[in-house]
Amino acid sequence: MNMRVIGGWLLVVLALAAVPVALPSAFYLGIATHALIFAIFALSLNILIGHAGMSSLGHAVYLGVPAYAVAWLTVQAGWQPVPTVIVALLMGTALSALFGILALRASGLGFLMITLALGQVMWGAAYRWVGLTGGDNGIRLPARPALLGFDLSSALSFYVLVSIVLLIALCSLWQFDRSAFGACLRGTRDQPRRMSMLGHNVWLIRWAAFITAGFWGSVAGVLYCFDYQFVSPQALSLPQSAEALLMVVLGGAGTLAGPVVGAIIITVIKTVVSSYVDRWYSLLGLTFIVVVSVMPRGLVPGIASWLRGKRA
Amino acid sequence: MTVPALQITGLAKRFGGLAATRDVSISVMPGERRLLIGPNGAGKTTLFNQIAGDFFPDAGSVKLFGEDMTRLPTRTRVKMGLGRTYQVLTLFPRDTLRHNVVLALLGTLGGGWSALGALTRRRDLAERADAALAQVGLADAAGRRVSDTSYGERRRLELAMALAQNPRVLLLDEPLAGLSAAERETVRVLLEEIPRDVTIILIEHDMDVALAFADRITLLNFGQVVLEGTRAEVIADPRTREVYLGG
Repeated sequence: MNMRVIGGWLLVVLALAAVPVALPSAFYLGIATHALIFAIFALSLNILIGHAGMSSLGHAVYLGVPAYAVAWLTVQAGWQPVPTVIVALLMGTALSALFGILALRASGLGFLMITLALGQVMWGAAYRWVGLTGGDNGIRLPARPALLGFDLSSALSFYVLVSIVLLIALCSLWQFDRSAFGACLRGTRDQPRRMSMLGHNVWLIRWAAFITAGFWGSVAGVLYCFDYQFVSPQALSLPQSAEALLMVVLGGAGTLAGPVVGAIIITVIKTVVSSYVDRWYSLLGLTFIVVVSVMPRGLVPGIASWLRGKRA
Repeated sequence: MTVPALQITGLAKRFGGLAATRDVSISVMPGERRLLIGPNGAGKTTLFNQIAGDFFPDAGSVKLFGEDMTRLPTRTRVKMGLGRTYQVLTLFPRDTLRHNVVLALLGTLGGGWSALGALTRRRDLAERADAALAQVGLADAAGRRVSDTSYGERRRLELAMALAQNPRVLLLDEPLAGLSAAERETVRVLLEEIPRDVTIILIEHDMDVALAFADRITLLNFGQVVLEGTRAEVIADPRTREVYLGG
């Protein structure tokens, strides 16, 4: 590992450590925590969009289903946090394996529509199956549970947990990107027919990517439930999937930092700017249009390219 | 009796009302250099696509060294020893030449599922990729991006990727297409240097090079084999002039 890489990682750790010191209150620390959870969610979707070249409009399934699993197992079944988290992650990942089989029967627009349809089916089930999900009222967690002896009730302790998980996600996905599998996945994105003629199992590579995306989406879903201590059909909704897509595209698909930057910007607009600007949705749309017009590949690649141009 | 390297029997494929190949039977012996000729739309590339497994035929069979691969997926055919280059370049332009060949090696050697460790640290793969690039005269360009190379270099890269996989049967779809005279000569020499343990089936419109290269020639028209024979036999046959050479 060269010094530049080590320096980059140190900067990430320092930035995460500086947030609680820099922010004035627990309220803002809570917003930072939301942003980091959505950063993990956007990173998971980036595996599909950026690395596999498959745009999904149903990724909220892997946020919502594990969130429901955590809420239901905790409230209705009375399970302890550790088995609850494990089962929730397994459920989300298994669902992605199943939905991957269905969605990967198509590619391009067909894939997008199947993921959208599967997402809507799950949203409809959450909305209508009142006995299981509480319908529109959702399920409320009585309190944020302690995990492996760590008290997560304070904003700071939960922020630390989410930061650690984000760091693990970033390290794993960085490694994933550099690995042979990452290279093969990008190969299937750029030249699927050629990859097949080179002896690669294109479908299986994409399916493995779909499951990996489902796993990290589920990690975000578990944290989402702990964070909001509440889950409703909104977690599985189309706007939730579209928002994640927006985060990835805004920050820069296929990059490690892009989805994180996109998640931070959108969370800040949603939660902070919306307090001051009534038409914050218009502002969000305008931000997206401006960024995509000026930097079509997203903020992170756009700024990196601009800096390279300045140096040259 | 020697088993043919590639045996195609009664191959037929229709796309709606269009018969792309009709009862095509071709037998290519090990080490042979076979040239497929025919006018545009004769079904040459469609035949390659069926041999490679891009789509399955409606009828007939394809065997590689006696093993039936008619219904096998492309990746399995590659592992059985089938290699191919494309008429339209299908490379990974954002990556280096070395990386392109490494992807080819991962396809046949395995190891593409490893999510641990950086691919760039796989010295064994890099060395094999560099050797394949050296074989086509691109040793110095290994670290360059494909997008920064000339068209001729990309054609040679296609060949390096196919050769790196040690194919037993190699399908070359117009390897000289779009090349300058000097580049054509370079690729011609490279094709001549491919050892005889690799059977080659070639589609090529540069008749000077192709006729000199081929042991036997198959003439296709409207998806059917019109005639097959040695260089002299095919050139002498009036149907060649009528169907392909014109007038």
